[in-house]
Amino acid sequence: MAKRQKRFEVLDAREVNKDGFVTEWPEVGLIAMGSPNDPQPSVKVANGMIVEMDGKKREQFDFNELFIANYAINTAVAEQMMAIPCVEIARKIVDINVPRAEVAKVFSGLTPAKIAAVMDELNVVEMMMGLQKMRARRTPGNQAHVTNMQDNPVLMAADAAEATYYGFDEIETTVAVFNYGPMNALALLVGGQVGRPGALSQDALEESIELQLGLRGLTAYAETVSVYGTEKVFIDGDDTPWSKGFLASAYASRGLKMRFTSGTGSEVQMAYAEGKSMLYLEIKCVMITKGAGVQGLQNGSISCIGVPGGVPGGIRAVLAENLVTTCLDLEVASGNDQTFSHSPFRRTARLMGQFLPGTDFIFSGYSAVPNYDNVFAGSNFDSDDYDDFLILQRDLKVDGGLRPVREAEIIELRHKAAKAIQAVFAELGLPAITDEEVEAATYAHGSNDMPARDKVQDTKAAQEILKRGITGVDVVKALAKRGFPEVADAVLNIQKQRVSGDYLHTSAILDKDFNVVAAVNDLNDYQGPGTGYRLQGERWEQLANIRHAMSPEDI
Amino acid sequence: MSQQDIIAAIVKEVLAELNGGNGSAAPAASNGRSLNYKTDYPLAQKRRELVKTATGKTLDDITLDAIMSGAVKAEEIRITPQTLEYQAQIAESISRPQLARNMRRAGELTNVPDERVLGMYNALRPNRSSKAELLAIADELESQYGAKVCANFVREAAGVYEARDVLKKD
Amino acid sequence: MAQLSEAVVREVVKEILAQMGNGSASASAVPAVSNGDSVADMTMREVGVAKPGTASDEVVIALAPAFGDKLKKRTITGIPHTAVLRELMAGIEEEGMKARIIRVWHTSDVAFVGKRGAELSGSGISIAIQSRGTTVIHQRDLFPLQNIELFPQAPVLDLATYRNIGRNAARYAKGDSPAPVAQISDQMARPKYQAIAAVYHIRETEFVDGSKKPMDLEVRFN
Repeated sequence: MAKRQKRFEVLDAREVNKDGFVTEWPEVGLIAMGSPNDPQPSVKVANGMIVEMDGKKREQFDFNELFIANYAINTAVAEQMMAIPCVEIARKIVDINVPRAEVAKVFSGLTPAKIAAVMDELNVVEMMMGLQKMRARRTPGNQAHVTNMQDNPVLMAADAAEATYYGFDEIETTVAVFNYGPMNALALLVGGQVGRPGALSQDALEESIELQLGLRGLTAYAETVSVYGTEKVFIDGDDTPWSKGFLASAYASRGLKMRFTSGTGSEVQMAYAEGKSMLYLEIKCVMITKGAGVQGLQNGSISCIGVPGGVPGGIRAVLAENLVTTCLDLEVASGNDQTFSHSPFRRTARLMGQFLPGTDFIFSGYSAVPNYDNVFAGSNFDSDDYDDFLILQRDLKVDGGLRPVREAEIIELRHKAAKAIQAVFAELGLPAITDEEVEAATYAHGSNDMPARDKVQDTKAAQEILKRGITGVDVVKALAKRGFPEVADAVLNIQKQRVSGDYLHTSAILDKDFNVVAAVNDLNDYQGPGTGYRLQGERWEQLANIRHAMSPEDI
Repeated sequence: MSQQDIIAAIVKEVLAELNGGNGSAAPAASNGRSLNYKTDYPLAQKRRELVKTATGKTLDDITLDAIMSGAVKAEEIRITPQTLEYQAQIAESISRPQLARNMRRAGELTNVPDERVLGMYNALRPNRSSKAELLAIADELESQYGAKVCANFVREAAGVYEARDVLKKD
Repeated sequence: MAQLSEAVVREVVKEILAQMGNGSASASAVPAVSNGDSVADMTMREVGVAKPGTASDEVVIALAPAFGDKLKKRTITGIPHTAVLRELMAGIEEEGMKARIIRVWHTSDVAFVGKRGAELSGSGISIAIQSRGTTVIHQRDLFPLQNIELFPQAPVLDLATYRNIGRNAARYAKGDSPAPVAQISDQMARPKYQAIAAVYHIRETEFVDGSKKPMDLEVRFN
């Protein structure tokens, strides 16, 4: 093109056109929903056993299909539920007169291909209506990422405190450098309890290391336990449904909450999607999770969001996978946790699918640090977007799980968290944290504002934490000895969750007094206007009270 | 039993549970009935007397003072098979049979040491173990720890891994 | 099908290169170091099944199935594989260690390529690299999905980084604990490249041969 039309020149320079888009390629599974290679739904039950599923005989099942057939489908009702036309099941999801439990009962008898076909009957508004009703916990919640590129423990503790003070029920960290795992878990645990007692913390690491940190009480739950929709990709992920099922039992045997992780696009990204659509394969992941007896799932494409994001209808499929998770009566931590687009419009639109109906965790997680410090490679929203998010809540009268905060409160809190981790390090003989670092962490925007630490010493100390067998109880003692009794008490209360096991149930979180709020004692009872969770009273006043609104007296 | 029979037996057992039967001879709470989510959950509030540590301490015994004095140690703060059974009953009462089953498998694993649990998990990863090695783990679970459901789960895996070619290759 | 995928790759690569050439807006993804132009100045020959090495000064560079002599012979940002391999080797040699290059055939997954390479490495340290440029430093005793250092974002890796990766791998092989290679984290690499990277990986995976053992490679730079 020699001469460019000026409007197209402007369009080409727009943020959205920096995103990568590709055309569908169904032969390799680069298609969001409804691949021509997706099987036709079918089921045959003989002697209480599934002998045919989605057009395949039992002898031809791969290990995912065997696991689903053996554990995830109620064979007593399967043939009856499979006989209901897809469009009718889709209408039950949307119809406010059909209670949540009835939809869950229908889904307990469906095969993966049937569920995929049901989802294809729904447009995104209908999916959102479904999510509002089918979400397991009545009260919506939210989760944050707390990481930094330097694995700086002082900053991490201050950031964790700020995050839980804003209202995140869960905080998740990981490492910029592999060896830091135990130290980051420690900083997150202490900081999180300073900001809001009862917030649950986790550290996303290789499976067996992650379990070890949980066993020691340095984390309160686990999430990065991945499952995949094809056998080949599962093997490349170095697991099987049985190893993951066993791991799920191992966590529960130590009284630790956990959920699995999966998402559309992972199979095609790992090059073994077998020509199936992303949603069909993701539905298998949800069913494996259900079959393993795990209470919940993180999905919504997660780290693969650029793949469904690049094909037609991809973001609809991502919403559908969240909805399927809730229809199978599982907790959902619904994504929105990765940089997804250069365009703020696309980022916000992608969020609405979970934000408006509410989910157990709308983000999994929201970046509570600036995205440059987000070691998960950035989230859909970050700490610079807090006021945008708070005003979205206020504009639409939606509870996204966060509340407005004041600068002075945050300064005080960050300082306290930094002092607390300084004390714990001193008491446990870990590399010293200086007052200068405490001051920097209190006022920092991100790790660029922090003085450098001796990384060689820190990585050694991180390994020492494991070798010396430091536990959550040691952290409790250190905090109490050094003058942080209320933080010590909170960390102890986190440890105690592993005795009662109440938080092993679906969608469980803890309030500030360590009471469990789960889809058992807070089961979603939405059935249309006047029912379910309603944003009102004190909570609404709190969310409405943003920092920069002027009152008549101000004018 | 042949592989096929073992799998068939396991599947039947699972299905019986999934379909609402109560396959386990579980200890019910003191009055003889199973716990129910409407009346008994959360245990820490509504049935606090039922929750004990492995060493028989109550939730109220685990205080900051007790930690500082050494009266309660880190390794005591653990869930018991009894508590997991109560939680399984609650899960069953709210129509979550799979969750209940996982809690019962977990109950069986409470006595397996941390290191050994990790070892068994790693052995179940793909291409890590021969069939004989997996069957030996199943026997160990059953004979040493009385972990019957877990043992059958591992036996089932051994059969599936053989059929799907994910056993260790030399 | 092969023709279609070929066309898709060609199209997307063209698109990326065009965007990169566009300048300022996408500057963060443009490699800082000159990338060279030629992809044709290297020949690769298999010289036998790779056996476990015995020399403790050996660092294995394990190549995924298509790296270096198939497809476009360039990473996702268009850096010629020849130049990448030269930098990795130079980094290793700078530290007084020896590079041994092998081709892994049974998998295209960078973690598993690295794990296999490390098992075959005399020092127990390997570098694995995929065609799109994704790289890992692996060690024999780790689980497959663990690593010493992982470079998951191919779009931000430039030649200077590849040299540093080679250098650090050699230092680990000597028993040192070097500071990890500094990485740029481009938050926007995902929306820009992820779908395209998936296509790259699918193409590479078409060359996987599950039954073929890792092979020693003789590499000649012209």
